[in-house]
Amino acid sequence: MAQEAHGALYDLLAVRGVSRRDFLKYCGSIAATLGLSEAMVPQIAAAIESGAKLKPALWLNGGACTGCTESVAQADSPDVATIVLEILSLNYFETVMAAASDAAEKVKEETIAEGGYILIYEGSVMTGFEGGTLVVAGKTGLEHLKEAAENAEAIICVGSCAVDGGWVMGRPNAAEATGVQGFLNHEGIATPVVNLPTCPVNPEWVVAMVVQYLLVAGDDAAKFLEMTPMVTRRITDAVYGTDVDLLFPKSLFGQTIHDNCPRRGHFENGEFVTEFGSEEEALGYCLYKVGCKGPQTFTQCPVTRWNRRASWCVESGSPCIGCGGLNWVDNNTPFLMRLSDMWLGDGLTYVQPGSIAAVAGGVVAAGLVVHGLGMKAAGRVPGGAPTEEMKEYDRKRMAKKGGDK
Amino acid sequence: MAAHAHYREAHPLVFVITHWINLVCMVMLAFSGFYIHYPFFDGFMGVARGMHFVAMFVIIINLTLRIILAFTVKTATQLGSREVETDIKNWLPQKENRHQFWPTVKYYLFLKKESPISAKYGSLQKIAYLATVPLTYLMAYTGFGLYGPTADWGFFAGGVDMVGGPMNMRIIHYFGMWVFIIFTMIHAYLANIYSFAPSRIIFAWKETVESEH
Repeated sequence: MAQEAHGALYDLLAVRGVSRRDFLKYCGSIAATLGLSEAMVPQIAAAIESGAKLKPALWLNGGACTGCTESVAQADSPDVATIVLEILSLNYFETVMAAASDAAEKVKEETIAEGGYILIYEGSVMTGFEGGTLVVAGKTGLEHLKEAAENAEAIICVGSCAVDGGWVMGRPNAAEATGVQGFLNHEGIATPVVNLPTCPVNPEWVVAMVVQYLLVAGDDAAKFLEMTPMVTRRITDAVYGTDVDLLFPKSLFGQTIHDNCPRRGHFENGEFVTEFGSEEEALGYCLYKVGCKGPQTFTQCPVTRWNRRASWCVESGSPCIGCGGLNWVDNNTPFLMRLSDMWLGDGLTYVQPGSIAAVAGGVVAAGLVVHGLGMKAAGRVPGGAPTEEMKEYDRKRMAKKGGDK
Repeated sequence: MAAHAHYREAHPLVFVITHWINLVCMVMLAFSGFYIHYPFFDGFMGVARGMHFVAMFVIIINLTLRIILAFTVKTATQLGSREVETDIKNWLPQKENRHQFWPTVKYYLFLKKESPISAKYGSLQKIAYLATVPLTYLMAYTGFGLYGPTADWGFFAGGVDMVGGPMNMRIIHYFGMWVFIIFTMIHAYLANIYSFAPSRIIFAWKETVESEH
């Protein structure tokens, strides 16, 4: 059977103009992404080959912009990554599947009933209006997610929206959006969830996680979690207010962009872009001063890169906007400033921390000058005022005692 | 009140040294911190970060040492006195400080004519000096939460998660620095408002005798 799958895979690859050599090279890059040794390449290739038609998957869309679909589909020309994802046997993929209406829903229901599939979820979970902001086939997105999540072996959350609500949950969060893990905790569904943030998700990371799943776990999600080093970050759920622990693969989200940035040398040298269109920008200097959020964004972007490893934001001249962070829009806007704005409350405005600090410092400095003049006017300097003979408290107490008598 | 003498017993030499270390470290930390916050000239980031980390370790060790010494070194119990007692007793509120918080506030707001009875330090001063201890440690904690090598230690990562991510931690760290800047402004002002004798003793360890103001 492995032989059959093997043949089937290479036929598929050949049709797409991908040679066996390309495929193995790609397996090598997956090994690098996962932090595995090159010696693992044959196992990775075998996992993809044999896993191919065996692992059914569903791709559900929640409240989002479908940008992650766009990112993964990479519509201009198919490459190995898209083929690997295709051979995942994606039984339901709203935006790109050929099937429509009842037939599509039927396949989805059958897959859920059979179980043993991976659920890939894109987009936020919009709990507002009783889920009425997203209705597919007569059911709310919340019901679809609940049904699909309950029977899934594991859930891969693609994109920041699925992780914690992403930009959809940015203030004022009218749709009451949250992430998948928070919603599942609330519903009491214990299916393991792996989070792949950034906006949109990097297709290489989806492939890496699928391969990791096929490679180390087979059909056992518990083993997958045990064998994959994870980073846990605790957030407060945007809707339910509960503490939620999110799991991120450590090989992908364990280091900051700053740690691996190709412009890091310029940072340490103190060579910065202050203005776009300047000579410093042409020299490829560090984008820290124009608001780069690389130092607090934990993703592997500089290593994996984007668009078939062609480039990525900072390399192509844009400061990182921190899309791989948590609550990333509220925490990182304005994108071109060093610190985020502080929100002062409903009906009030946003203000930079630096403005608050400068006002506070200025008021105190002015206050001290005025106070000093007051001390002078009151004749307290340089001699000081005469010290009281008795504490006010004692004087009052004695007066009271005297009154009692 | 300002006319009292300033004797070495108020600030033994070891505390003159720890105070100097505090001052130098604070200036270095604030300057390099401002630079890291927003590099206002080129070519200094590596040095600024190195300076920040070195000064940070020095000030934390210095503060911890200062606290330990407070239990072993004797200092004057009162301003203008040579009578000494274990330092921590003069650092924590003394019996003269009781009930004197509001009178002290009123005095500085010109609502009270006479200077309130005070211990070695006034009530407000004691609060400020004691608050700098947890504040310094808080600055260290928030700083370690942002510092690459330690940011993923559970003890610090938990705090980063609690405040909602590294950006919020950065803003807290930034405001913390301003608390120290404002503290230093008020501290320097109040210490020297009557005369520079307090600076002479704490920086140069030079005594000033009682004057007839």
